[in-house]
Amino acid sequence: MQTQLMRALGDGTRLAIFERLCLREHTVSELKSHFDVSQPAVSQHLGVLKRCGLVRERRAGRFAHYRGHPEGLRPMVQWLSHYKQFWPEKLDALSAMLKEMPLDDEGK
Amino acid sequence: MMKGNEQIVCEHTLTAPPAQVWRALTEPELLAAWLMKNDIAPVTGQEFSFRAQPMGDWNGIVDCEVLEVIPESKLVYTWNGGASSRDSGKNDDYGHKMETTVTWTIAPDDHGGTLLKLVHHGFHLDDFAFKMMGMGWKSKGPAIEQALAAVA
Repeated sequence: MQTQLMRALGDGTRLAIFERLCLREHTVSELKSHFDVSQPAVSQHLGVLKRCGLVRERRAGRFAHYRGHPEGLRPMVQWLSHYKQFWPEKLDALSAMLKEMPLDDEGK
Repeated sequence: MMKGNEQIVCEHTLTAPPAQVWRALTEPELLAAWLMKNDIAPVTGQEFSFRAQPMGDWNGIVDCEVLEVIPESKLVYTWNGGASSRDSGKNDDYGHKMETTVTWTIAPDDHGGTLLKLVHHGFHLDDFAFKMMGMGWKSKGPAIEQALAAVA
């Protein structure tokens, strides 16, 4: 899942779209006015963001309104914090193991 | 692709002497007891790997190559883990594959113990992750700020 998220946001335009949609809701044409890309391209980016849960769609009459869904970042944040915890936990395990280890008498 | 410059630094004071700590870092069975199953050999240029339970997108394998060995003082190896998508031919340039370096420094302290320092550097976080972790995101509005506070 974090791979999918990274791929989705690894694209500069998609990242910018996501950021903008986190500020407020937009329609496709409103979004298009902020970016130098075609409307189909905007729709395609939205599709990618929607599929990985970063954007939500609301239909109102003829228009679809899109809004950022930052909660979709959760797997990514969990993955990062896993890495921040990894070494401290391992080093605690090392410390515990060394306390159990008989002192090294090699060569004495 | 540019190498990332994010790093994780951990320092630990251990009561065991440097020789003992060195063994715990360089002997496969001892290293496996606190880190992961491995076939390490403290020889410059030696390739080895760590193996753990696959988890999420990660296939459980970390490929390494020993870069520097100073017995009881310094050990450096690459730490290349990554998404399993690498194996299914879907790999791309978005940097989810980790290519990092682990540096261990060992120094005696004043009480017969050891000061152990770990620097895990070269994290290649893409724009997104940088922004997420940096101040950039804090100013993007309450939605993201709240989301990050809730999940961090």
